[in-house]
Amino acid sequence: MKRDPIVLVVVAVVISLMLVFGIQKTRHRPPQQTAEQLQGKPAPDFSLAATDGKTVKLSNFRGKAVLLNFWATWCEPCKVEMPWFVELQTKYGPQGLQVLGVAMDDSSPKEIAEFAKKMGVNYPVVIGKEAVGDQYGGIPYLPSTFYISREGKVIDKIYGLVSRSEIEADVRRALASPGQVAQK
Amino acid sequence: MSLRAVCLCVALTLGLASGDELTANRRQAVTFHAPELSPVYRGAPSRIELQFRVASGFHINSHQPKQEYLKKTELKLDPPTDIVIEKVTYPQGQEQSFAFAPQEKLSVYSGDFLIGVVVRPLKSVLPASYAVHGKLNYQACDKAACYPPRQLPVSFEIKVLKSAAEGKKHNPAQSPHAHT
Repeated sequence: MKRDPIVLVVVAVVISLMLVFGIQKTRHRPPQQTAEQLQGKPAPDFSLAATDGKTVKLSNFRGKAVLLNFWATWCEPCKVEMPWFVELQTKYGPQGLQVLGVAMDDSSPKEIAEFAKKMGVNYPVVIGKEAVGDQYGGIPYLPSTFYISREGKVIDKIYGLVSRSEIEADVRRALASPGQVAQK
Repeated sequence: MSLRAVCLCVALTLGLASGDELTANRRQAVTFHAPELSPVYRGAPSRIELQFRVASGFHINSHQPKQEYLKKTELKLDPPTDIVIEKVTYPQGQEQSFAFAPQEKLSVYSGDFLIGVVVRPLKSVLPASYAVHGKLNYQACDKAACYPPRQLPVSFEIKVLKSAAEGKKHNPAQSPHAHT
């Protein structure tokens, strides 16, 4: 039987591509959605252990505006923001702001807790997991901050360090968003 | 078209695709420039300089960052059996402050930097070329953000030679009966 060379090349390329995509799929699980795709959509829910051992579930903050900050102890720009978050939690907490820190760190929970204490953090800090990072677009770098409305939708995301006034403007937008006060 | 040609075609497509994956997913802020084959004498320490380059706009922590919680740059080498890495010498970090913390000075590397490695093959090592593999652990930041710690594969070749002194030492002793 005579083989048609073009058909063979096409078959070879198709087999190769199937192999490549198969290998890639098993090697690397891509983020479930990009951060851009999250905009205006419900914030992916998660349950993570806090530095005090308690479990924190994001959806328990429904009715509050949430500033969700991904950070790490080795991230210098993250350190700059933390005192601002402390001030904003104090200032806007009574109006319904909840800052939540997610440490994307390989340090131990104890070290993370000590670091947060040293920084005077007055909001919960949970120990992050890659899977949660993937839910939020993969968190390619830190700090990465997501602003979540009272009704639990992502209204903005900021990669990298920005000015305090920009952060505060986003906090106000999140607080102004519609939603019910958290039921206890 | 032969089966061999089809296999070649598959291999080329796989190679190209995996290369794309590397560039897309594993972009490094630091690159390594392997030195030329370095001759080293067995039994003697030799210094080899490894050149690294931090991409423009980035910096990485030095080997001795000022803050304990920062990730230091560290070279980990896994030499072949009987080739000893006696010492790794890191350059002094540049003290720099950045826009995100202008009042604070950090000890960092940026641009090109050299790490010195002292290699000593034991006398039992056969003269030949050997590859030394390892990785550079680093953590990079730019002006406003930091990237997760990364590992850069490092590999360089050394050529183990017999030393001149060793050659003399191993001359067979003459028999006392040779001149009788």
